[in-house]
Amino acid sequence: MTAQYIFNGFVSGMILALPAVALTLIYGILKFPNFASGAMLTVGAYLALIFNVYLGMPLLWAAIIGSLIFALIAVGIDQAVFRQLRERTAITLLVCSMGVSFVLENIARFIFGNGARSYDLAIARPKHFFGLRINNEQIITAATAVAAMIVVYFILRHTALGRAMRAVADNPSLAAVRGVRRESIVRWTWAITGTLTAVAGVLAGMDRAIDPLLGWNYIVSTFAAAILGGLGNPVGAVIGALTVGVVEETSTLFIPPNYRQVVSFLAIALLLILRPQGLLGAAKIKK
Amino acid sequence: MTAREIVLKTKDVAAGYGGGDIISNISIDVEEGQIFTVIGPNGSGKSTFIKVLAGLLHTRVGGISIKDEQITPLAAPERVAKGLAYVPQEYNVFPNLTINENLRVSTEFLKRDRCATGEQRERVLNMFPEIATRLTLRAGHLSGGQRQMLAFACAMMAAPVVLLLDEPSAGLSPKFVAEIFDRIKAVNRTGLTVVMIEQNVKEALRIADTVMVLVNGATRLSVPASEIGSTHDLHKLFLG
Repeated sequence: MTAQYIFNGFVSGMILALPAVALTLIYGILKFPNFASGAMLTVGAYLALIFNVYLGMPLLWAAIIGSLIFALIAVGIDQAVFRQLRERTAITLLVCSMGVSFVLENIARFIFGNGARSYDLAIARPKHFFGLRINNEQIITAATAVAAMIVVYFILRHTALGRAMRAVADNPSLAAVRGVRRESIVRWTWAITGTLTAVAGVLAGMDRAIDPLLGWNYIVSTFAAAILGGLGNPVGAVIGALTVGVVEETSTLFIPPNYRQVVSFLAIALLLILRPQGLLGAAKIKK
Repeated sequence: MTAREIVLKTKDVAAGYGGGDIISNISIDVEEGQIFTVIGPNGSGKSTFIKVLAGLLHTRVGGISIKDEQITPLAAPERVAKGLAYVPQEYNVFPNLTINENLRVSTEFLKRDRCATGEQRERVLNMFPEIATRLTLRAGHLSGGQRQMLAFACAMMAAPVVLLLDEPSAGLSPKFVAEIFDRIKAVNRTGLTVVMIEQNVKEALRIADTVMVLVNGATRLSVPASEIGSTHDLHKLFLG
């Protein structure tokens, strides 16, 4: 019984890991917490819904096309909104991202209404391994999230783009005098985070009903995961997400499921008191 | 004697932050292979001037050219591509990248003619053996002097025409100061032109060819370094 909860929590954590990594990448490069990540996740879910339900594509293709389109939308949002405020404080950009969040959410509401929708996905019998009940959606979620994490890790550690992203996160002025064009790196960062968030939207849409408030189910947990891992640290964000997923899920053994996000709030509060730099925050060198 | 080519030229440059100008009417001609040193009291505008040269601060008036090519409107990354390499005073390496990654990111986004070849990388690592043996170490774990060496090496990777140094001895222990200036001279002997601003006047004059004294954002004097001690009184120049 407990093992099942831990497993379910692990899978929930994998969904959380994608927007948490996206949040931490944006924080690392642009130094503000992007509150719009929840609404971006919602729009990503709806984009895949269009291709899957309205245009009849298999969900895999719908997710790929939807995510790529949302990558472009994320770059567009940056150019139209955040770029104008690039040199402002983190608080200004945070408030601005709240505005973007409400706009995105209401565009989704305007087009699709308030009703709950779901993907056109064949129902499959759950599989049983060592007493664990594992359904098809959980396998797809785990495989997709792990693949996405590997791709992001590879980009960050082994490509010129990844080195430049980490260089800009460390010191944008120095990166400029080393020939790295910050704006180009910022656009790529939004494209990557847009893709990650949209994929998370599809995985979330497979886990629960799609409605304009879908992202709100994840936003607190996403922030908890990113803060837990140390904002700006992608590996920390993944560890934070898995921790939050497991702790939230197992907490339902003791408290009603509706209150599970309280656990995320508690995690943020405790961490900010005891270890403000996050679990892996100390590993980053400031100077 | 044949005149050497002017590789870096500024004409009546003015720049600043906010309302007023910090520096004004700065004109310099830096000859190929020279060490051109800018000295002056605190707050005289030395750092502002070198930031303007590097493209980190907008030029309000005047022009800057490198080998007769105007670079005034270019941003910092484009100036690197034109052959200007800049080593800031502090925060001059990426602390969370390894030494190897610091070196790689220094030229990866430049055009092909400035992208480090294996030969150039080898030459740079030979010049800075203390970093060559620790390529997988994160730069944040290096000492101040070692970071300065890595910063020089990164700047050298792009095979620059002019190396801009912002107070290379700042924050270093006295033991490292002479070594840093010797290393700058060694780099200069390879034919590289150096423009340096420096507070440590004694050490800077030891290796400089031409010295410009900057006071209150304006040029007070620009002469061969050999003339400074004999003909001019630095205290008077600095203080009034």
